[in-house]
Amino acid sequence: MSVQADFQPKIVVFACENSGWLAAEHAAELGLTYPEKVELIKLPCSGKIDVLYFMKALEKTDGTMILACQQENCKFIKGNVRAAQRVKQTQNLLKEIGIEEDRVGIFYLAANMGHKFAEIVQNFYDRIRELGPNPGKVIK
Amino acid sequence: MIIAERKPIDEILEFLSRYQKVLVLGCGGCVTVCLAGGEKEVGILSSELAMARSKEGRPVELVQKTVERQCDFEYLEGIRHLVKEVDAVLSLACGIGIQTCNEAFPDKNTWPGVNTRFLGVNLNVGEWAERCQACGQCILDKTGGICPVARCSKSIFNGPCGGSQNGKCEVSPDTDCAWALIHDRLTRLGQVDSLREIMPLKDWSYSRDGGPRKLVREDLELESGK
Repeated sequence: MSVQADFQPKIVVFACENSGWLAAEHAAELGLTYPEKVELIKLPCSGKIDVLYFMKALEKTDGTMILACQQENCKFIKGNVRAAQRVKQTQNLLKEIGIEEDRVGIFYLAANMGHKFAEIVQNFYDRIRELGPNPGKVIK
Repeated sequence: MIIAERKPIDEILEFLSRYQKVLVLGCGGCVTVCLAGGEKEVGILSSELAMARSKEGRPVELVQKTVERQCDFEYLEGIRHLVKEVDAVLSLACGIGIQTCNEAFPDKNTWPGVNTRFLGVNLNVGEWAERCQACGQCILDKTGGICPVARCSKSIFNGPCGGSQNGKCEVSPDTDCAWALIHDRLTRLGQVDSLREIMPLKDWSYSRDGGPRKLVREDLELESGK
């Protein structure tokens, strides 16, 4: 899909407070920037994410993702495993109605990975920009 | 409990294609427990429908509500005002709830959002199995608490049949032979000798053979009839 020159995707990033959220703070300390229309929401664990959160986010944005702790490294043992399962479930729902599955994703990182955080967010933003506006957006 | 699963989205979108405002109605009973039609599923399905219709360029307004039980007229009285404001209802309750809605609101269509599958038990997260066929004449006292009507593929009494091998049913290697389970259970309880008794033919008139069933308990009926 061609990139619309003036299209600036709106993205919701759910972040585990033990990894993604701290990595975002680390990125800020390092003076790293990420696109303006990215909204961060802190969760107590990536396992708190729900299919409903993703769907609600996608009703008004172009893409959404969850930042989880590295695999095998969840403070609550299986939070990141469950988060991955819910990403898959959301992708299936999107597929059913003909919306690109790539609009939802999961990425793993640690608290001290500020650079990685900025890279993940930028890459996801670029991918969503490539896909174009979410055709299912309810609130334009 | 009653086990249900959501209908394919295309089927639901087809039902609702002619409506602009729809009430998505969940049930707080069995379908909440089996994750098919509770408050959360109402939210998820509403999001999915709203996005699908938005994508088609025909937005739909969705009102969300979950009542305690859709199979009781009392709980439906409380949502009469919501039903009045919409073009149709999409019910995520079992077939009983859907029919109760249609009876309670005869001037509006209540469409089924789920397929009602069976009466069963939750074995694991995301895994359910049939346990009862509501045949109307329970014989669990004679079979070690394991129902051959629901769990034997042939619903036979005085089993097992020749298709039972290594405790499994010939219909599927994933299905336990109900009569092997009954034998093992009665052995464990020290009551296996009870299987020597020949069970009489089952009277199916208590089941579907007698047509739609109705139960009246006069001891509970009030003078007013309500």
